[in-house]
Formats: sequence, structure tokens, C-alpha cells
Amino acid sequence: MALPNLVLIAVFTYRPLFSNIYYSTLDWTLGSPTATVVGLGNYVTFFSSNDAPKVLGTTAVFTVVTVGGSMLLGLLVALALNAKVRGTTFARSAVFAPYVLSGVGVGLVWLFIFDPGYGVLAWLLRGLGQQSPQWINDPQLSLVMVILVYVWKNLGYCAVVYLAGLQSLPQEVMEAASLDGANGFRRFISISLPLLSPTTFFLLITTLLSSLQAFDLIRIMTPLGTGTSTLIYEAYLQAFGAYNRAGYSAAISVVLFAILLVITVLQLRFVERKVHYS
Amino acid sequence: MTLHLDRRHFLGLAGVTASAAALAACGGPSTTGGGQATSQAADIDFNGVKPAAKIDFWSSHPGQSQDVEKSLIERFQAKNLGISVNLVTAGANYEEIAQKFQTAQAAKSGLPAVVVLSDVWWFRYYTNGSIIPVDSLTKQLDMKMDDFQQSLINDYKYDGKQWAVPYGRSTPLFYFNKDHFAAAGLPDRAPKTWDEFGQWAPKLKAASGAQYAYIYPALAGYAGWTLQNMLWGWGGGWSKEWDIICDSTESVAALQWAQDSIYKDKWAGVSSKEAADDFSAGLTSATIASTGSLLGILKSAKFNVGVGFLPGGPKAATNVCPTGGAGLGIPSGISKEEQLAAGMFLDFVTQPESTAEFSAATGYMPTRKSADMKAVLAKTPQIQTAVDQLAVTKVQDNARVFLPGADQEMAKAAAKILTQQGDVKSTMTELKATLEGIYTKDVKPKLKA
Repeated sequence: MALPNLVLIAVFTYRPLFSNIYYSTLDWTLGSPTATVVGLGNYVTFFSSNDAPKVLGTTAVFTVVTVGGSMLLGLLVALALNAKVRGTTFARSAVFAPYVLSGVGVGLVWLFIFDPGYGVLAWLLRGLGQQSPQWINDPQLSLVMVILVYVWKNLGYCAVVYLAGLQSLPQEVMEAASLDGANGFRRFISISLPLLSPTTFFLLITTLLSSLQAFDLIRIMTPLGTGTSTLIYEAYLQAFGAYNRAGYSAAISVVLFAILLVITVLQLRFVERKVHYS
Repeated sequence: MTLHLDRRHFLGLAGVTASAAALAACGGPSTTGGGQATSQAADIDFNGVKPAAKIDFWSSHPGQSQDVEKSLIERFQAKNLGISVNLVTAGANYEEIAQKFQTAQAAKSGLPAVVVLSDVWWFRYYTNGSIIPVDSLTKQLDMKMDDFQQSLINDYKYDGKQWAVPYGRSTPLFYFNKDHFAAAGLPDRAPKTWDEFGQWAPKLKAASGAQYAYIYPALAGYAGWTLQNMLWGWGGGWSKEWDIICDSTESVAALQWAQDSIYKDKWAGVSSKEAADDFSAGLTSATIASTGSLLGILKSAKFNVGVGFLPGGPKAATNVCPTGGAGLGIPSGISKEEQLAAGMFLDFVTQPESTAEFSAATGYMPTRKSADMKAVLAKTPQIQTAVDQLAVTKVQDNARVFLPGADQEMAKAAAKILTQQGDVKSTMTELKATLEGIYTKDVKPKLKA
């Protein structure tokens, strides 16, 4: 049964992977019919240029903040949604809705909200006698803006997965802890959080992978990648933006591949050991 | 065959697959080792060739020209029965259409017969051998090449050949809010120099109530194009031939003046997205935008709009306006039959009446000297300013139009200076090194000695 799927994966995933590794050894201008083999030249150029620390730093900041933010806020929202009060069904739908919305649409709407000239946020700030920050022109604020929108869009996913985890926790353990005098915070830290570790582990891997591949919001909100050039967006800009350096772009995407691979292996080897499977 | 897939293996597989998917998304068609491409400059003989029955025309519809493009296609088809033109929206702007075209080149399939190419892209297509010279077509089709506006047609000449024909061609224009100018007691005209505007700006800001007296066009757009005027006005530039001069005393002085207008004098700002929209919305009293934005501005602005030539600087008061916009080219990777049909289409859409129709619908300049613009000018007299300014335009600096990625590097440098108050001299020195690196690596080896 697995064979047809493996064939499809081999053709549509692994073949391009190996082709891309090959392209990363070429000095190839996109659109040009010929290229020159440069071996590891593109990697040397990347790691010895000013691009590498900037791009890797931006990737690290974006990934850590979006993964941490989505998971932490997702957990807090899940705790709120787990409460037995009226309106939780609507609240759950509302929280999850941004996750299923098109990233392009979300990016365009938020771009309008953040616009320092005539955006809603600028209008509100003007009402308070304040000037709007230059969200779009300032590279640091651009990164903050994209991170905020990314976390807003994705925390619903973490919230729903955490909610499912919270609802499957054994109630008898909670009740026993209550009888022993443990308060809510103590029960959460000592019982819920450890028992949620498989959920946390699952979310850590999936959000980390999707965060490292985040593209649509960055493309729409900061087309030049000023301040927001993560590895994947830099790879895009180098090949399909103004530069057309296809070989160099392929090398950057191989670096991203290596990072994803290492992170996944490390997570499976070391982080999973601390997970409590029931 | 069975495979045991537990949670641990699933997550591992997900990681590897996601990584591979990231790579796959960035992959491209296969290529072979060897030297760099050079353009096929040999004339193509179209004698005995029959035009193709169907061709694709890739456009980004510059200046919201989709309707007028459809109208031109209908008229072309009525005149050339048996040739059908399929209008394809191949991107929302010049960069997106270039991206699609380059990708089709790499994939060696799905190429159009006619493609819109901007001032910064056609040279790259030439160096990659992606487009053909149109000389033999223009000769065979008896196109009146000397009737084109010479400054526009000459933009696409290289190595003694014509690589495209002008289509949606524009220059920047100075747009001003006449009502704001009147309220500030200023003359009803565009400033002659930036210094003059610098004197007007504080009065303008005080009297108009607008956020800015002037807004610099969005840097993510075409900063290299819109700042060219100031650089020339101060006697500098991005480059002189192939020498990068963006760090010269004159260039630095120009950008320092621009930075001061924002941070020191506080009457200017930088558009986040589209200066023409900011101007139409009343956010600013003046801006610079393409002539292609003219009709859009006139339609949406709820005030009297004035237009004028771009202001001069302390060193050059005139001839400080760059040409810009897009032309039409024909790919090399298609059949001769398609190339001939494409040539016929190029001939038709650049006819005097066609270019007048296109100009009327968009605000772009008529590309033919003999285009009858009376009806157009009666309806939109502001277009006359754009046409008059054409006589004092200059071809853009090589660094901006011929160096791949230069526009992006210029935009980044401009952003550092105009939005982060970065040091002008060191930013320009850094930009010079980057541009020289691009020239040495990507352009110099492809230039003919």
C-alpha cells in the first residue's frame, strides 16, 4: 500500500530535492540556458557575505518569536476556551478562523491596518495625538509587524490542538490533586503541563517547520524583504526577485534544508525524551 | 509492502518532507555546465514565413490598461483575420511578469509571443538570449521607426540592434494639490527647483493641514528611478557609464538634502505603499509619480490637481527627468511563425492611432510623433505636460537599468537614509561596493568588448 505513495513522494519531493542540490553547485542566472559549475562556491559566497548573519539572524528571531508566541498564546487561549462558560463554541471558531484564512488576504488586510498614512492603527494613534510608527519602511518594525500578524494567524491552530490535549487529561488525577490541596496554578504546572508534553512536542515540531517556511505574509507585507528576509524569503528573492541568481538561491535553500533536518533530528533525539506519553 | 508508521516516525518524516518541500519550491529546470549565455544577435529571415494563427500576449496591464489592451486586440484581430491574440495577465507589475517570463525561459516551455518588459528587465533578457532583435521584423513589416519618439525607441538599442519597441512609456511627473498651494499663497505652478520647493514647504504644511508638504515615493517600488531626478539635479547620479558614482560629493549632497527634508525640516515623509494614492487621499500636498498614474489620480482626487516638470537642483535645472516604463519584446524560444505574428501585433499596437488610444486610457505617453493627441488633450490637458517634458528627459544611468538587482539595492540604501536616518556617505559607499560587485560578476563578462 505504501509503494504508490513512496513513488509519488520520490518523484515530486525527493527528485526536486536532489536537483536543487545540484543547482546549488552552479553559477546560473535564471532564464539563461547555460551555467557554470562552481562547486561549493555559492555556499562560500553566502557564508562569507554580509547576507549570512543578517538572514540567519532574521530567521532565528522570526522562528523563535513566532513559535514561542503562537504556542504560549495558544496555550493561554486554550485554557480560557476550556472553561465551561457560555459562548465558548463561538469563541473557539473565532480563534481558529484566522488559521484557515488565506495568508495573502490576511496580509493585505493587516497591511491596510498598519499603513502609517491612512491605516486604522494610524487613525487611532492620531486620535491619541501620536504619530504612527513607520511599520512598513522601518526594517525592525517591519519584522515586528509580520511577527504580530503571523502569531495572530497561527495561534488558533496551537489553541485548538492544546484544547484537545486539555480535554483528554485524566480528570481523576486533577480531582485527587485538588483533594490534596493543590490550587489551580499548582495543578497546571505539576500535572497539566507535563501531561500535555506530547501535545507540546507535536506543536513544537509542526509550528517550527511551518514557521521556517513562512512565505505568504512576508511576500505580501514586505515584498522587498527589508528587515524580514528569512532564509526561505532570501532564497526566493535571489532567484525570482531582482537578482535571478538561481544557483545561489538553491544554495540558500539547501542551507535551510540542512537546518530543518538538524532541528528535526535533534528534537526526535533529545526533546522527545522529556515527553510523557500516557 | 507494509510500513510501520508510529508517532515518532511520522514526525520525523514530516520534518524531512517539509524540508524537501521547501527545497522543491525553490527548484528549477535542469541546466548544463558551460559558459555564460550571449544573445543571438543574428538577423532572422522571415521571408516565406506564415504568421501563427494564435499567439499569447503577456501583460501586467500597466496603468490599468486591461480594457484598452482588449480593445486594441479586437481591432488587431479584425484587421488581421486568422490571427488570434490571447491576452494573459502575467503579473501585477513589471517584477511579477519578469519572474514569470524568466521561469518560463528556464522551463523552456509556455513562452508568450509578446511580453511586456520594463526598463530594468529588457537588458537582462538580451544578455540571456531570451529575446530577439526586432530589426528584420520592423524592416519586413515596414514599421516607421523614425516616427517613434527617439528618446523612447533608443532606450532599447544595444549592440547596433533594436531589442524592443516602446509601449507603456512614462516619465515621473511632479503632482501638486492646487488648493493647498492657493491656501499657502504660492504660485499656481510646480517649483522650478528643489530649493524653491524647500522654501515653499513650511508654508504649505502650515496652511494645508496635510500631514506632509511632500511625500517621497515608496522605496520598495522604484526608488532608483524616482531619486534619479534629485541625483542629477545636484550634479551626481547612480553611475556615469559603468563607473558607479553614487558616493560622489554631489550624489551624497542630494540625498542629504532629501534626508534633511524629513528629519531636520520635517515637512516630508516617505510613502509606505503608493505615493499616488497618498496624494489622492490628501495626505500630502505634492509628490512625484509616474505619468501612468495621471488618470488614476485625476479620477480619485477630490481637489484640483496640478502637474509640472520635475524640479531641478543646484547644479542642473533642466534635463533632470528620467524616462521609464515598459516596452514590448519578442522571445527567442518560440517559432518563427509566432515571432512574425508577434511582430505584426507590435506594429499594430504602436501605430499612431493605437498609441493615442493607449495614452488616452492610461496617461502613458504617446510613443509616436505623428499620434493625433487633440482629442486626448482636450479631455486630459495634463498629458501635454508629460509630452512636453519628454523633450528634456535623459536616459537613466546604466547602474539602475542594466545591473541585475541594482534597483533593489538602491531601494535598500534609500530606505536606510530616508527611513532610518542612516549616514548618507557610508550608506552610499556601501552601495557603490555592492553595485560594483554586481557589475563585475554579472554584467561585465557578458558585455561585448
